[in-house]
Amino acid sequence: MASQDGLTPPLLRVDGLSVAYGPNEVVRDVGFELGRGKSIALIGESGSGKSTIARAVLRLLPAQGRATGRVAFQGQEILSLPERRFRPLRGKAIGFVPQDPGNALNPVRTIGAQAEEAAALLDERDPRIRRAIILDTFAQVGLDNPQRVYDSYPHQLSGGMLQRVLIGLAVLPRPALLVADEPTSALDVTIQKRILDLLSKLRQELDIGLLLITHDLAIAAERTDAILVLKGGEVQEAGPTARVFASPASAYARKLHADVPALNPDRYAALRDPGFARLKRAAPKIEVSNVTKTFSVDGRNLTAVDNVSFAVPAGTTHALVGESGSGKTTTIRLLLGLDQPDAGGITVAGTPLSGRAPETLREAWRHLQLVYQNPFTSLDPTWKVETLIREPLDRFGIATPKDRADRVREALANVGLGEHLLARKPAALSGGQRQRVAIARALVLKPDVIVLDEPTSALDVSVQADIVGVLLDLQANLGLTYVFVSHDLALVRQLAHSVSVMHRGRIVEHGPVSEIFDRPREAYTRTLLDAIPSGLSAPQPSRRLAEAVA
Amino acid sequence: MQGAYMNYAAKRLLQAVVVVLLTYVFTFIVVSILPGDPVTNVLRDPQNGFTEAEIAQIVAAQGLDKPIPVQLWHSLSGFVTGDLGVSLRSSRPVSDLIAEVLPSTLRLAGGALAVALVLAMGIAYGARFLPHRFGGAALRALPSLFLSVPSFVIGLLLIHIFGFQLGLFMVIDPNSFWATFFAAVALGIPISAQIAEVLMANLDHEASQDYAAVARARGLRQSKLFFRHLLKPSSLPVVTVIALMVGEVLGNTLITETVFGRTGVGSLIQRSVVTQDLPVLQAIVSLAAVVFAVINLIADLIYPLLDPRVKLVGTAPRRVTTADELPRANA
Repeated sequence: MASQDGLTPPLLRVDGLSVAYGPNEVVRDVGFELGRGKSIALIGESGSGKSTIARAVLRLLPAQGRATGRVAFQGQEILSLPERRFRPLRGKAIGFVPQDPGNALNPVRTIGAQAEEAAALLDERDPRIRRAIILDTFAQVGLDNPQRVYDSYPHQLSGGMLQRVLIGLAVLPRPALLVADEPTSALDVTIQKRILDLLSKLRQELDIGLLLITHDLAIAAERTDAILVLKGGEVQEAGPTARVFASPASAYARKLHADVPALNPDRYAALRDPGFARLKRAAPKIEVSNVTKTFSVDGRNLTAVDNVSFAVPAGTTHALVGESGSGKTTTIRLLLGLDQPDAGGITVAGTPLSGRAPETLREAWRHLQLVYQNPFTSLDPTWKVETLIREPLDRFGIATPKDRADRVREALANVGLGEHLLARKPAALSGGQRQRVAIARALVLKPDVIVLDEPTSALDVSVQADIVGVLLDLQANLGLTYVFVSHDLALVRQLAHSVSVMHRGRIVEHGPVSEIFDRPREAYTRTLLDAIPSGLSAPQPSRRLAEAVA
Repeated sequence: MQGAYMNYAAKRLLQAVVVVLLTYVFTFIVVSILPGDPVTNVLRDPQNGFTEAEIAQIVAAQGLDKPIPVQLWHSLSGFVTGDLGVSLRSSRPVSDLIAEVLPSTLRLAGGALAVALVLAMGIAYGARFLPHRFGGAALRALPSLFLSVPSFVIGLLLIHIFGFQLGLFMVIDPNSFWATFFAAVALGIPISAQIAEVLMANLDHEASQDYAAVARARGLRQSKLFFRHLLKPSSLPVVTVIALMVGEVLGNTLITETVFGRTGVGSLIQRSVVTQDLPVLQAIVSLAAVVFAVINLIADLIYPLLDPRVKLVGTAPRRVTTADELPRANA
């Protein structure tokens, strides 16, 4: 890419950048250029080096990381600059919006105390004016009660609010460049859309150059001028967003495109569609009727699940969709018998589960298994894969030891993993392999029903596509019934047959997938649908969304 | 929040008082049911020259012929009102004996804690931020070294170097400022090692958190990052460690007092054990219980001030992670 003109250097120019941890080179010979007020997306899966590049530009690499090559900010080489001379650029010229807002603010200091640090970068002596600027900025990023936010500690605010705070603190000193490292991957889809809208708006208003790190091609396509596709630390493809998105030249970019659920709703149609017929014909495997659960929090009663009913025909997938706090997780805890409902009944395969003591539920659990959200924490790191998968058989005393070994191998083969992994421990597996092990562990008991609690939300888009394929394959071959919990409607459309949309503990809308997607009746459902990144640029916040949320 | 905190503090205070009283009762009962009767043993010591009749008279006057519950009641009500009884050896009130030696010991222990905190913070700061060529990483080895050298060896070394060689203090005047200072250093060094270990581990953890990177990206210099961001969350476990080390500090105080020739609680304990001066020992054990209870009370009262996420539940502080543990009303 060439410079815009001979006189002004580009905002950011990266040339031949390589980063190594010891002998391990994680970024190789990467180059790109970002003009003033423009935006570029670095896109790729975990381990592609995209975050490392961002950290190299910010000079926040861990001590053992070594960056070579050239990174020029407004014409000034910054890689070789001593920290003493780079520090004045931090915050003031180069802002940073991190990935997980829940960890990005000091938990033991108030938001205000940390905002003052950002405000100190302005040439403003009067503390009252600095404070007013902070409160203005909070209002500008859409925080309703700036003074309350100022006085709060991070744990008192939601993830979406915290990310607004962080964006506000990053833009407050009016930087020329903003580096945003997956700014929405830890957030719900609806909040994701609002945060991205906010970033786009601020970028245009304040003429900030944006370096956006993301694993989601649809987001990159909506929000940036140029795209750099990375894999294994090397550039696969680079160019204007419209070109890369519409006609990707590299095989890897094409795969990324194919893996985004929002862009390929019918990717698994052949495996999924036979289930639609069962929606009407098959007997219900799961029946949840008028279930209510109330928790007492700080003396207040909170109805987490409010009169919820749904039925799932055998061999189909029912999706529970909603944002954090909508009651999805409580509903599946009730379904699994981990909590007892205050009212209502739950029946799985004809056996009532509600109103029973946990110890009498053991037999029911043989037929009702859970795959947990995060495969990085759900597997005991000191156990071998074989022991992990075999444990349920041991616990239930099923089959002879020799048969158990066979069933472990069978389950492993079902999720598409080779037997050479049996002796490995979770640390030696990738995220996708771990989640496959978690699924095999659920499968080994030959259950009828598997509850999938956001099984792909901790995984990359491309790994997610693999897992979705495995799940649909298993359903087609073994006739499994799934309850699938997700906040991502695009994913739901790819693999579910019927949906219940949950909002504040209630089911606001339910029905077959096609109906919900084609003819949503509720404003809340439309909000969720609007939040799916389409890949088509939509920089203006939709009015319908604003109304629905307000 | 204010009301909740005061409520919590009051509950915690009550709990501390109960702990002290129970300790008193426990030591009293243990001493009473032990075989042998130290009181009459002391009185029968031929040096004292009491006749059996006189001994019986003293025993009756002290109420020692009464049933144990009655004795306990007298002793306990005396303890609560500040009357710790009379020493069997010197016939002086125990409270006077303790009042004589306590200030010196408190100066030493307090000084040692101050030395330990400053030293630990210096080591932790240096290990994190000093460049390699100034020995930043080497500082990490210092705590293990400190721990492996007993405090009396350090004490003897300090006396030799600063007392005899440099003449900074007179060994015969153990209460001078410098003598107290170096005694505190000798006592503080092993304590600092444990605090520094915990502090370094927690600083490493906190420094690897996203918020530290974000704060750096906001242009904070290292000293501000350390003092404003990292120190406070890292010091929570330090408070726990200090509270747990009280016993060790008390024990080491006694050794250090001996090495530096100081008159303190240590020498009083030693004398009282040798002479089986039970009222004094009972008072010192109770005093130790009070110190323990007070330090732990202070620690528990500090937690919520250091970390706003600590919830005041019942009488024990507990950290809750709101997002995961509790269902939220709205996101």
